[in-house]
Amino acid sequence: MSIVYALIGTLVFAILGPVIGCLLSGLDRKISARMQGRVGPPLLQPYYDVRKLLGKERVSVNTAESAYVIAALVFALLAGGIFFSGGNLLMCVFVITLSSLFFIVAAYSSRSPYAEIGAHRETLQVMSYEPMIILMTVVFYQASGSFDVSNLFNIPIPIIGCTWLAFIGLLFVLTIKLRKSPFDLSMSHHAHQEIVRGMTTEMSGPTLAKIEIMHWCETVLFLGWVGMFFIWLNPLSLVLAIVVAVLVYFLEIWIDNNFARTKWQALLGSAWFIALVCGGLNVIVLMFV
Amino acid sequence: MELVGFLIVFPLVIAVILSFVRSDTARTYLVIIPAVIIAAASIALYVIYGSQGSTYFTFSSTIVDIVCIIVSIAIGAIILVYGFRYKRILPIVLGAVQLIGSLIFDFAFGHGIDVSRSLYVDGLSLLMVLIIGIVGSGICVYALGYMQDFQAHEPNDAPDRRPIFFALMFLFLSAMYIIVLSDNMTWMFAGWEITTLCSFLLIGYTKTEEAIDNAFRQINMNLLGGIAFLVALYVCAIGFETLSFKDFLEIGSSRPNLVIMPVIALSIAGITKAAQMPFHTWLLGAMVAPTPTSALLHSSTMVKAGVFLLVKLAPIFVVCPIASTLVVLVGGLTFMLCSFMAISQTNAKRVLAYSTIANLGLITACAGVGTPEAVWAAMLLILFHAIAKSLLFLCVGTAEHHIGSRDIEDMDQLFQRMPKLSRFMMLGIMCMFIAPFGMLIAKWGALVALIDMHQAVLLILLAFGSAATFMFWAKWLGKLAGIAGTQENIEGSVFVSEWVSIGLMAVLIALCCLCLPLISIYMVDPYIVSSYAYAGISDGMVSSAFDGTIDVDDLWLASIACVFAFIVMFAGLGRTKSRQVGVYLAGISADNANRVFRDSLSGETIATARNWYMTEAFNEDRLSWLGTVVCIILEAAFFIVGCVTLGIF
Repeated sequence: MSIVYALIGTLVFAILGPVIGCLLSGLDRKISARMQGRVGPPLLQPYYDVRKLLGKERVSVNTAESAYVIAALVFALLAGGIFFSGGNLLMCVFVITLSSLFFIVAAYSSRSPYAEIGAHRETLQVMSYEPMIILMTVVFYQASGSFDVSNLFNIPIPIIGCTWLAFIGLLFVLTIKLRKSPFDLSMSHHAHQEIVRGMTTEMSGPTLAKIEIMHWCETVLFLGWVGMFFIWLNPLSLVLAIVVAVLVYFLEIWIDNNFARTKWQALLGSAWFIALVCGGLNVIVLMFV
Repeated sequence: MELVGFLIVFPLVIAVILSFVRSDTARTYLVIIPAVIIAAASIALYVIYGSQGSTYFTFSSTIVDIVCIIVSIAIGAIILVYGFRYKRILPIVLGAVQLIGSLIFDFAFGHGIDVSRSLYVDGLSLLMVLIIGIVGSGICVYALGYMQDFQAHEPNDAPDRRPIFFALMFLFLSAMYIIVLSDNMTWMFAGWEITTLCSFLLIGYTKTEEAIDNAFRQINMNLLGGIAFLVALYVCAIGFETLSFKDFLEIGSSRPNLVIMPVIALSIAGITKAAQMPFHTWLLGAMVAPTPTSALLHSSTMVKAGVFLLVKLAPIFVVCPIASTLVVLVGGLTFMLCSFMAISQTNAKRVLAYSTIANLGLITACAGVGTPEAVWAAMLLILFHAIAKSLLFLCVGTAEHHIGSRDIEDMDQLFQRMPKLSRFMMLGIMCMFIAPFGMLIAKWGALVALIDMHQAVLLILLAFGSAATFMFWAKWLGKLAGIAGTQENIEGSVFVSEWVSIGLMAVLIALCCLCLPLISIYMVDPYIVSSYAYAGISDGMVSSAFDGTIDVDDLWLASIACVFAFIVMFAGLGRTKSRQVGVYLAGISADNANRVFRDSLSGETIATARNWYMTEAFNEDRLSWLGTVVCIILEAAFFIVGCVTLGIF
């Protein structure tokens, strides 16, 4: 039955994911503006932007790019569907990785010097956060006894108690996954530290709108991963999970506005170090203690 | 049973005939028709015996025993001849040790031991039969066109040694069938040594200095493995008075302390053949051979014989922690370090080689863990790796003949120059490293098995190794995907035989990805249930342990995702009505299509971007040295421990 749930979940997520993600993105811009002493755009500004992009002429540098981007978007929706329908966490991780692969290939296919540099860097970013994400799923399995997210509602205490180390690791790589400064090497929304526009340099109009929507959905999914650490059989724990997710999102915005972009060596080194210490140690502790 | 005999003897006969055929046309027929027959016979064997767990045939023959002795003498003699001709000491010594060792064994110890049921089929051997029969013979067909091109690229006065080449390819298939279908360990050993010799001759095919050096490196390492195998034979014959592999497995899984020594010896034999560290250099050296050789060695034969042996031993590993630790550590380390080393490679064939070694490491580690889930993962990894890797080798071989390079940087914009080929190559690459394609689903199984068996170290190795895997495949994929709109299509001159084989592999990948749940239910599960049944683990335990691995629903979900990815790759790309424009070059472009811009001296410069190879962070020499030292220490230490246990128990 889980396959039916996953597919229904995908359809629901395809509607709710972008809505929530859009609001979060508006909030991000608002809060960022306040941190920088500006008033900032209206909350719905990301929506207005995307609506305008969707109405623009379809222009591209080649015939393949848009197909890759559609694939990336669909797999991001599928990953969200799997996760929020209570499906298999590992499957969700794999599918979202597939989505980022299609995005990378889309950037490569344009053969723009700028996009290509962005694609190289994005590949490196995936390599940087992947060990921590895999170890996080392992810890999740050890703590909750199953890869199924729905199983969380059957456990007596939230898993955060024995997985806080991995949770810190997740917070660290979350900055990379959300492409927030200092780890926004592949494409940055801070104009002062980016060469043109990184991966999306050649993407415009409806294609760029899809990227934007994909980014919203990813944000919602990753905050879902954050929230799942705080779920147990009490239904009210959902509220706690949402509160924690929102706080973490605020933390990410704060980090984004307070750090300058770093070099790739520092990115890879620190992310792998964190994965080894937080992820590895947590796995070992849960296995043998 | 006749079919089993046919599969072993028929390729042998074809090999003998092919070694005399010099005409191109005759060779074409003599390769294609037998290839089809072998594939059909392999499928027939699966259809007949696939539904039964395992079938042992009452068959023993003194003639075959004598043939095996003659074969081992012949192999020893050939190695000695080559050793003297090229003045290499080590192969002469090792060859002599092995020759004398096997003669003493045959006449003094093995002589009186009769194996009444020498031939068998079970799920694992059927899987191997299908891989050898379909993928292996597909590669033979591909070689027809490839070798014609290859000969054309040679100097005019170069002798045409293609008859020997094709004879060796078919001999290889026959030897592989012997290994996977005989329960008699001396027969297995004979097949084992034939594959060693065949790959020696195939690697040295071009007879250049480099080829000869690498061929000798291969034979040195694999002779060591062969001697380890022989040690195991001695222990079995003297200690247990049996040479049946089945009996050995039964003894081993009920009294693991007794078999520590032979299991470690066999593991080392498997590790050498599967090119695990420190023996990985022979497989890298094998790259000098023509591409069909590499494809055959990497995908369906040779290295797969090594992991086949290790997977067969899994029921012992699960109860024998000493041997298990060795295999798990060597496999896990090899997986991670070789994935790291692949990042720094620009040569496509070397990337493929490192990825093969890394994946074999994963299979080795799974076999070492030995639980039903781990074996499930190992078998699926064997299957998907065989098909995807042969597809990739065939594509790289064809691309090399048409763009004149096997460097990944030169494959820039291949999507335009060879549109069909590059799509197949992209399919192969994606199948190697990303979900929902088969390999990663199998890796998932491995992950679960590792957690359940408390293999923390291996889990960490797997996590970091997988991340590196993403890096080196994704950047290659990106290189292929580039589109600029000015390139000429140069695909027209690819041989039909090459297209047929490449197409066959692509169809196989698609089928296996889509039918993954069925393969799991009807091919892999029955073997696991039957092979653990006699290992003292009850059916109930196997199936209950097994349900937890991966839900069939998730497998179907993966299939659906695969369908979508296939549609995007083969139907979605290149179908858009959007207006086409040039790339952005900061407003100073001179020729957009070729990425030329006006530089600060008012001259013209082409914007170029190379992939990242990060040779500082992932230095090949340093990593290779590290892996070699650690693995040599591990293997030597465990071998000594094994010898000690022989004295104790």
